[in-house]
Amino acid sequence: MSARIAGIGWVTPLGADLETVWSRLMTGDIAESKTLINPESGRIHPYFPVPPKLVDSLARNPRLRRSSAISYFSVAAGLAALENAGLAVTPQTAERTAVVFAISDGGVQYTRRFYEQIVKQGANCASPLLFPETVYNAPASHLSAQLGLNGASYTLAGDGSVGMSALHFGAQLLDTLDIDQCLVVGAEECDWVLCEAYRDWRFAKTPLAEGAAAVVLNRTGRLSIKTHPGIPFFRQARAVDALGKVVADLVKNSGPIEYVVRSANGTFIDQAELEVLNQFGADIGGFSPKAQLGEAPGASALIQTVGAAMALEKQMARSALVSVVGFNQQAGGALLTV
Amino acid sequence: MLTPHRVAITAAGVASPLGIGLDATLRALREGRDCVSLVTGFDTSRTRSKTAGQIDAAQLGESVSRRDQRLHPASRMMIAAARELSEADPGFEPELTVIGTTSGGMSFGEAYYRSLTGKSRPSNRARWLANYLPQKPLLDAQQACGFFSPGQIIANACASGTNSIGHAFSLIRAGKQRRVLCGGYDAISELVFVGFDSLQASTAEKIRPFDKNRTGLVLGEGAALLALEEWESARQRGAGILGEVTGYGISTDNHHLTQPHPSGIGPLQAMQRALDSAGRKPAEVDYINAHGTATAFNDSTEGTAIAQLFGDRAVPVSSTKSMMGHSLGAAGSIEAVFSLLALRHQFLPPNINYTEADPQWAIDIVANESRPARVKCVLSNSFGFGGTNASILLELPDEI
Repeated sequence: MSARIAGIGWVTPLGADLETVWSRLMTGDIAESKTLINPESGRIHPYFPVPPKLVDSLARNPRLRRSSAISYFSVAAGLAALENAGLAVTPQTAERTAVVFAISDGGVQYTRRFYEQIVKQGANCASPLLFPETVYNAPASHLSAQLGLNGASYTLAGDGSVGMSALHFGAQLLDTLDIDQCLVVGAEECDWVLCEAYRDWRFAKTPLAEGAAAVVLNRTGRLSIKTHPGIPFFRQARAVDALGKVVADLVKNSGPIEYVVRSANGTFIDQAELEVLNQFGADIGGFSPKAQLGEAPGASALIQTVGAAMALEKQMARSALVSVVGFNQQAGGALLTV
Repeated sequence: MLTPHRVAITAAGVASPLGIGLDATLRALREGRDCVSLVTGFDTSRTRSKTAGQIDAAQLGESVSRRDQRLHPASRMMIAAARELSEADPGFEPELTVIGTTSGGMSFGEAYYRSLTGKSRPSNRARWLANYLPQKPLLDAQQACGFFSPGQIIANACASGTNSIGHAFSLIRAGKQRRVLCGGYDAISELVFVGFDSLQASTAEKIRPFDKNRTGLVLGEGAALLALEEWESARQRGAGILGEVTGYGISTDNHHLTQPHPSGIGPLQAMQRALDSAGRKPAEVDYINAHGTATAFNDSTEGTAIAQLFGDRAVPVSSTKSMMGHSLGAAGSIEAVFSLLALRHQFLPPNINYTEADPQWAIDIVANESRPARVKCVLSNSFGFGGTNASILLELPDEI
């Protein structure tokens, strides 16, 4: 499935401006780590937060006044991508714009707080203000409302590959609906319970992170993107085969891979990517943004995609592969070309 | 413009409080069986609502292996539905799977949270985490049936199950895919149950969709899957065709996160777009399987939208949630299976617990008992939090 990229945006622990974050990534800056504490056990977890000042201005929006951080990040990244695309949302464009939202852990802060109230205070004390924000598609709804978009809106859930699924889904919508563009957004927020879970699950080799990234897909944008539906794997050992098939599908009829943005995060994913990418050239240039920005499962694959787009716009290569292996669902990827 | 491809339904599978499998489900629908009962999975002493439509775990256990018993109930429901579908059409090999859900394996997430606040560290914490995520029931069902296709998990709140069918339909119709497995699932969890209770959306009484005296919804659970295939492809491999998906409409209403715009514009647009995409007029619809949650807001806006779209024509309407509650992300897919059964067996499923017409609208509610009827074209609605609205059109073509 193919489409064009017309705009990109991100909100990351290293900043929200495209140029600033890119420059910091290229100079090897690592985001400032903070800690979250499990109040039950005192266990401390490092994580990479988004500096609050980056989304402060959105707090004045009445629709967002009670929403969770994930909605702030989503709206900020979505607005940045639309601005980057030079797209003003009018009632006419609103009808012709779809939203696809990628989510992995969702509004985990409100979800934990709501269930905490049930457990500690009783079901009759659980706040009705919290529950709606626990729903997976709450951020997408806030985003649509903020932008006045009233066309198709989809939220996709999944593991760290969900951003790739969302890009593919967006390209599918461009192919099947009478729309002009699709705003694809992925986001993640952190909470101590999430850090506990990833540590207990033995996936917390890289600190968890907050953030969001957005890509505007259309039919005439400045970069071409070939998306892939992904390949599922039922055991970690099969991730190599799944990613290998994804990459082979993407580079078929293309030249050699010039640049790659990897999903390596210190887990089994690193070895899978290494094995696969070595088959396509041992010295492919590129980078692994999670080493600097942390692991934000709902957002990471789209952050990688924005990174790949930046590499092409900086003329570091004429094609860039985004390689993604999720924790327990599927491998995915995309190939961007000038 | 290329001629759109026709989209056949070649098989289906279902697990719901009405029964495991199409045959049991058909019997319950015809009887108008009330499958709502007292909640057994968690404490409801401090909630207003005490009931839900629940699947009998023992009944579900008959269709899953010993190994599968360790999985989340959502996985077991999905496996039961997937096995029924693949046994009915063993030649169906999906190129893509599109599934709707709202809460994945939420009750395992709840167990994990409780383990963090307790003194002990249960040994099955890792299992809870691995089975909590929304992709796991999909992977389990795929593995159980030997399917190996990419998955897309739509989490559009209560519209998810209809969105998954609609998206699968759109891809086949546009010639982008030939075979797509689609459907939805959701299992009852304490967090979601208390959530609806906290919003005062759920009722302590019977669920009475479209009734003047309605007081709210009760929750349900289940899973349903449909095998969609490009018509000629299905014919060529000799697959049986149960029905046809002919239209899909989606709209977004930005009025409020949990309340639809009172004008009914969101549902109206979704229904109109489904009809337009099928090239059908309202007069050609024989039955509406309504979203019908029995909340004051939903039924008011949906009833208003139906009355606006269908005018003076009294199209038969029922909400089958009256029998099993609202299964959230599964609802649209389960109700699509109910609609398919209505088409195949020429009857209208009932809207039970109905006592008094709401004077807001003049719509023909299929009150309390199923009706034999000529049914060729069914509109099925699903609307959700976040202002997401979806409708699909299912038909019984003459040639099958």
